Amino acid sequence: MSFIELKHICKKYKGNENNSVSDFNLRIEEKEFIAFVGPSGCGKSTTLRMIAGFEDITSGELLIDGVRMNDVAPADRGISMVFQNYALYPHMTVEKNISYGLKNMKVPEDEIRKKTDWAIEVLGLEAYRHRKPKALSGGQRQRVALGRAIVKEQKLFLMDEPLSNLDAKLRVSMRNEISKLHRSLGSTTIYVTHDQVEAMTMADRIVIMKDGVVQQAGKPMELYEHPINRFVAGFIGSPQMNFYEVRPQDQHILFSDGNKVKLPEDMAQKLRNYQRLTMGIRGEDIRLDAASQEAHGDSIQKARIENTEIMGNENNLYFEFGGVNSIARVSKDHVSQSGDKIHFVFLPHKMHFFDPDTEKSILADDC
Amino acid sequence: MIKRKQKRFNWILTIALLILSLFFLFPVIWMLANSFKPDAAITADMNSFRAFVLPPLNGSFFENYISVLTNTSFLRYMCNTLLYAAVLIVLGVIVNGLAGYALAKIKFPFRERWLMIIMLLMIVPMETIITIHFLIVAKLGLLNTIIGYILPMIVNPFNIFLFRQVFISLPDDVYEAAQLDHCSAIKYFFTMVLPMSKSVVATVSVFTFLNVWNDYLWPSLVFTSGKLLTAQIGLNAITSNDNTTTGQTLAVITMITIPVIIIYSFFSKQIVQGVMSTGSKEG
Repeated sequence: MSFIELKHICKKYKGNENNSVSDFNLRIEEKEFIAFVGPSGCGKSTTLRMIAGFEDITSGELLIDGVRMNDVAPADRGISMVFQNYALYPHMTVEKNISYGLKNMKVPEDEIRKKTDWAIEVLGLEAYRHRKPKALSGGQRQRVALGRAIVKEQKLFLMDEPLSNLDAKLRVSMRNEISKLHRSLGSTTIYVTHDQVEAMTMADRIVIMKDGVVQQAGKPMELYEHPINRFVAGFIGSPQMNFYEVRPQDQHILFSDGNKVKLPEDMAQKLRNYQRLTMGIRGEDIRLDAASQEAHGDSIQKARIENTEIMGNENNLYFEFGGVNSIARVSKDHVSQSGDKIHFVFLPHKMHFFDPDTEKSILADDC
Repeated sequence: MIKRKQKRFNWILTIALLILSLFFLFPVIWMLANSFKPDAAITADMNSFRAFVLPPLNGSFFENYISVLTNTSFLRYMCNTLLYAAVLIVLGVIVNGLAGYALAKIKFPFRERWLMIIMLLMIVPMETIITIHFLIVAKLGLLNTIIGYILPMIVNPFNIFLFRQVFISLPDDVYEAAQLDHCSAIKYFFTMVLPMSKSVVATVSVFTFLNVWNDYLWPSLVFTSGKLLTAQIGLNAITSNDNTTTGQTLAVITMITIPVIIIYSFFSKQIVQGVMSTGSKEG
């Protein structure tokens, strides 16, 4: 039995024609860090709020530690939550914000003090313990919200886009702090975000959602390397995967502008029955180096660079190929200017193929 | 150049406003100055500038005040009114606040229509409803009792509306966080909602106090016995007595005016803040 089980969970709001969440199934093990990720309105926050008890479950079953939770009040579900806008009590000091829940739970006074002191120390809030939230920065407020969650020592942490209001630099450091905290506390965490980088860097498993439906759930690299459909392939990874409309022809795929790429035997075999295909390839799998070109000498392509983005650790090259704008991620040593001609190859085994009608991956089953 | 012009304009405006405020303050200054004088001095100073000047601080300086406070029940009436105001502030904040909270945050059938009805009640003049209040209170046998006086004054549509407008902008996630912190709905109202809405609580309290302090019609209908009278009714009773001197009358009026001035000067910021916050957007 898993720690948390979501069985066929559906959510339909009154007056809405479609479900906001449809047939959501997931098992979460103890101490796992799960990220729900997807674009705005995909149902990730709604699912989290159903787990918290702030939204009714229209149909399906939610079990926490084997107990059905559908009709249990939020306070009795054994959860802590960190909110997007911190939701601190504005008239209380940092210390009182953190200890408020414990007081309501009738925890003995000396234990409250011990736990509050511990949370304040762990989160580095000693200097601010007597300040009210309005006298704190965004990062400090988020730490107080974390303190309020960890101090109750609940088994399940829910986090609803906790870093989305912070600037980029602070987000990276808070990301690290949350990961460390998760490891040291050994609690189960469900983390909602629209930022795939956050999901990739923090989660043990990622659940990708779109229009209320789970698209794929799995380990970060599993999703990155073997996306089950075009949506997942496009959502995970930055810069986004390049997609081309192609046609299989014997051992090759044919691009709309007439260019050809030779496929390995086994791959060509599987694609033979398709008239049209969507081919996807990540920027780093478009190779400009001599060794790759030598290895795939019969599929060398040409293009003219339209723009170069120098990222510091790597460069992004923008060019048009196969009728679409493409992007290649190359090493920082490869310096090309706009207008330069480049030769490159697509790494054949890194190519993803999707059915253009269903958008499902054709090769994913083999992985 | 523009700055200098602006500065000059500000000066002119300040002087004009000072003159205007003096014009309005003259009766108050006159009242205050003469409340410390015997009737003979009031009459003697009437047509001179001395009418606005305090008499010398001698043994009879506070005589009008002392005689009013010792020979009449005015002090009792003041205490009565303060007590009624205190009770009505507490009950008014709780009852109107809870109603405002329900209209702002709790989903129930016909919520918007209830709000419309409450807003409609705001335009009905008090005098129209007061007869009905009187009949109900009389029927309940509560005439000449504190409960009979207080009961119809607790609910105030304007205060409900004020509360509702402020509460609607309170973030919902704070309530959700409080729920996870094992805070009950009623505890949330008293320990979170009210402290987070201090300015509207202050505004409603001040309005309630002024309403009770200045009210004449309702207490004059409910109270028949001398013991329970409010300051305004007491003022009428004292000033209509033939033995009361002009100086004593002015002393009574001064004592009735002072709390209002104190309240306004202490809470003017909160009153403006509270009323302004009612115009906030729905959250």
